[in-house]
Amino acid sequence: MTRRRPDVPPLQAPHDDAGLQPERTSLAWGRTLLVLWVMACVFLRWMQSEGWLGALLVVLSVFAALYIWMTQRRRYRRSAHAIHTGRLRADVASVLFTGVVVACLAAVSLWAVLGRL
Amino acid sequence: MGFGTQQADRIMTAQQQDLSKSDSVDRGPLSLRLLAGGSEPDPRFTLANERTFLAWIRTALALLAGGIAVEAFTLDVFTPVVRTTLSVALLLMAMLISGSACLRWLKVERALRNKAPLPLPLLVPLLSIGGALVTLTLISVLLLRQVH
Repeated sequence: MTRRRPDVPPLQAPHDDAGLQPERTSLAWGRTLLVLWVMACVFLRWMQSEGWLGALLVVLSVFAALYIWMTQRRRYRRSAHAIHTGRLRADVASVLFTGVVVACLAAVSLWAVLGRL
Repeated sequence: MGFGTQQADRIMTAQQQDLSKSDSVDRGPLSLRLLAGGSEPDPRFTLANERTFLAWIRTALALLAGGIAVEAFTLDVFTPVVRTTLSVALLLMAMLISGSACLRWLKVERALRNKAPLPLPLLVPLLSIGGALVTLTLISVLLLRQVH
């Protein structure tokens, strides 16, 4: 038996998708955000030997992580609303931004490794 | 007769409502340019496509972390040539996978909009061949060290 104050309305999910797609997508972004923080820490350690290239990598990954963090709430709200209305605008900007940042991180690291030869 | 036309009218208005709904979807300039044509797919398909893209991105980030770790933290394990080869291979794979994950996301999204069959994943053979090559290099290095 649950005790609830009669004047408080019950909590309701903002959508009725039994597959919880908005939650799963939001959590997938959250995991990516977490991996980006870990990468920032790895690059921080690499800064000792690589100098400013390492600092550039740290700034890039922290920037990407902050971008995902700032847009998380908006993203969840939008996808929950889309399940409700049946229409969703694909999040082209976030996807392209994340892909390009990770490709840049790899390219700069490659540059740093090859530059040492 | 009267009932039939009434029903037809109702179907017509439902279709019109559907059309006006698809027209009113707010789409940004980037989405309009890259994802032109076709009709809006089921939101759940778009979200699933996004999650698949993110899974590939995390794979790329893991390879990136591996490449950095091999280069930075194995100074007394591998010879310089082996170390650089391994780390360059891992970093190249990370770059290729993150680039093609973006392209694949776009292709799948376009296929969903046009209700076309989904494209074959070129990333899978790339990742498995790359992983196999890196592992083979590691095994041969370790075996050679045992022999000497």
